[in-house]
Amino acid sequence: MKLTGVGASEGVAVGPAFVPATGRPEPERTSISEGEVDQELQRFRGAVEAVVGKISQTIDALRTSGDEDEAGIFEFHVEMAEDPELASAVGGRVKNLQSPEAAVLAAGEEYAADFAAMDDEYMSARADDVRDVTGQISAELMGLATSGFEALQVPSVVLAQSLAPSDTARIPKGMALAFVTAEGSRTSHVSIMARSMGIPAVVGVGPNLEEALGAKSVAVDGDNGSAITDPDEDTLARFERASEDLAEERAALDEYRHVEASTSDGRRIEVAANLGSASEAEDALEWGAEGVGLFRTEFLFMQRDELPSEDEQYEAYSAVARTFGDRPVIVRTLDVGGDKNLPGIDQIHEDNPFLGWRGIRMSLDTPRLFKPQLRAILRAAARGNVRVMFPMVADVGELRAAKQMLQEVREELEAEGTEIGEVETGVMIETPAAAVCAIELAKESAFFSVGTNDLVQYTLAADRGNERLRRLQSADHPAVLALIRQTCEAAGGAGIPVGVCGEAAGEPAMIPKLVALGVTELSMGAPAIPRAKKVVSEI
Amino acid sequence: MVERETTVGPAEGIHGRPAARIVQTAKGFSSQVVFVKGDREVNAKSVLKITGLAKKGEKLTIRAEGEDAEQAVSALDDLISADEH
Repeated sequence: MKLTGVGASEGVAVGPAFVPATGRPEPERTSISEGEVDQELQRFRGAVEAVVGKISQTIDALRTSGDEDEAGIFEFHVEMAEDPELASAVGGRVKNLQSPEAAVLAAGEEYAADFAAMDDEYMSARADDVRDVTGQISAELMGLATSGFEALQVPSVVLAQSLAPSDTARIPKGMALAFVTAEGSRTSHVSIMARSMGIPAVVGVGPNLEEALGAKSVAVDGDNGSAITDPDEDTLARFERASEDLAEERAALDEYRHVEASTSDGRRIEVAANLGSASEAEDALEWGAEGVGLFRTEFLFMQRDELPSEDEQYEAYSAVARTFGDRPVIVRTLDVGGDKNLPGIDQIHEDNPFLGWRGIRMSLDTPRLFKPQLRAILRAAARGNVRVMFPMVADVGELRAAKQMLQEVREELEAEGTEIGEVETGVMIETPAAAVCAIELAKESAFFSVGTNDLVQYTLAADRGNERLRRLQSADHPAVLALIRQTCEAAGGAGIPVGVCGEAAGEPAMIPKLVALGVTELSMGAPAIPRAKKVVSEI
Repeated sequence: MVERETTVGPAEGIHGRPAARIVQTAKGFSSQVVFVKGDREVNAKSVLKITGLAKKGEKLTIRAEGEDAEQAVSALDDLISADEH
C-alpha cells in the first residue's frame, strides 16, 4: 500500500520495516522458591544498575543533541529506578516468593495507580513514567530488550506514530534508514533529526500508518513524501535507480561546497549555516558555510543549576568566531520561551508560550541574564567577525533598549580595560510587527535576518507543530512573501542587507523567490548548503 | 531532630526534574529526611513518594534526624522554595 504525507527529509531508502515495541513485558514466572531469594534480590539490584546505565546513555545522547528538557525527564527516570522505596517494596515481595520480574511490575503498578489518581494532569501523566521504568527493569531481569529500539539490529525503516527526542536518542547509530510517522510536520523534531542524520523522512501520513505496521519492507521517498509498503519488483527497481541518482546528485553537489554562489546576472548570494551549538562549527565549514547566519545560544542555558557565566559564554562564542575567521558569525541572543526552565528566572505558567515572555522581551526585563551575554559577545568580537542579532523584536523601542544595554556594557568593558571588538547589531524579522515596522527598524540596524519559521506561524496564525495546518506552514504564502518583500524594500532604502535563516532558506523552490525579493544571504542547516549554492548559480 | 516549614516554589509543584533534584540533594546527606504534609509523612530520598506531594504555594515540613540534619534541612528548604531548579 502507499502512504502519503509530508516529505520532511529528502532522499529515498528501501529496507526492512521496524516498529518500535510499546507495552509491558509479561513475566515468565511469577514465583520463586525459598532458596532463590538472596540470589533473586541480587539479580534485581543488578538489573536496576543496568537500566540506570542505559538511561544515562540516553541522557548523554539528548544532552549532545541539545534536548535538555527531555534529558531532565530521564534524570527523573534514573531516580525512579534507584528509588529506595521501590527497592524495599520489591524486596518484600521477593521475600514472599514472588519473582523479581513480577514484583517490580506489581510494585510499579501500585505507584502508577497512585499517580494516575491525582487530580493534576501533569502528575497523572507520571504514571506512564513509572510503568516505563519498572517495565524496563522487569525486561532486563528476563533478558529482553528494555527499550523499543533495542531490537533494532539491522538497518531498517522506522515506522511509528510519532518519534520524540527520547526515541531518536535511543536508536542505535546507523540503524535507521528512514522515518515514517503518522504525526508531525516539517518542523517536528523527527524531521529536523532526519535532516541532520541525512536520512529520508515522510511524516504526517495519518491513521493509514496503522495498516502499514505489519509490512515486511518499506520503500520511502522523502522527496515527494510517500512510502510504499512491501514494494513489488518494479517499485524496488525504481527506488534503486532513484537512490543511485541521488548518490550521483550528491556527488555532483560536492563541487558546489566551496564555491561563492552568484546568480547568472552576477548577484552575489552568501550561503551560511545555522548552528545550534558551538560544536557544529567545524562541520559547517566542511559543508561550505560562508559564515554563520544564525548561532542559537539556547544550548548554553538549558538544564542548568545556574546561568552560564560570562566566561563560559565567551569561550563558546569565541570558539565559533575563531573557526570562521573573517567570515561573519551572527550570534542571536537568548530566545527561550517562558515555558522553559531557566535557573533563577521567575517562571509563570503561560497558556501561549509562543506568544509569551520570550526572546528580547525576557532579555530586556532581565539584565542579569542579558548583560553577561552581551559582554561575552563583545569580548568574542575581538576574536573574529561577530555580529549580534535580537530575536522577537516587535517595535523600534525594543531595539533601542537593547542597543542601549549593549552600549552600557561596552562602556563598562572599556572602563575595565577588557579587550572587545566591534559588533554590528541586527534584528531578526520574525514577528509580523517587525516586518510592518521594517522602515523604522532599518534606520537603526546594520542588518536584518528573516526567521521564516516563526514569521510563517505568526503571520498565518498557524501553530507550526499542528499537522492539520500543513497548508499554512510554508513561507510560500502571499502574505508571508509580502512581508518579506516589505522587509527587503525597507532594508534596501536604508542600504542594509537582508538574510533568511528559517527553513525556507534551504528549500530549492523558495530560494529563487527569496533572491528575487532582494534577500542576499541564506542561512540553513549545513548539509543543505551545497545544493542551495547550486540553486543560486542556476538563477 | 531538625524541622522547618517551607513553601513549594516551582510552578508545577514537585514533579519530574525538580523532584529528581530534591531526591539527589537529600541523598547527599546521611540523615534520615522526611517531608510531612498534613497527615502524610514520606521519605525525602524516594522520588516515587515525593512526586505529587505538593503543588506550588503549598506548605510542607522538612524533618531530618542525624549528624547533618541542619545542613540537610537548609539545603532542601532552599531547593524546594526556589522558583526554579
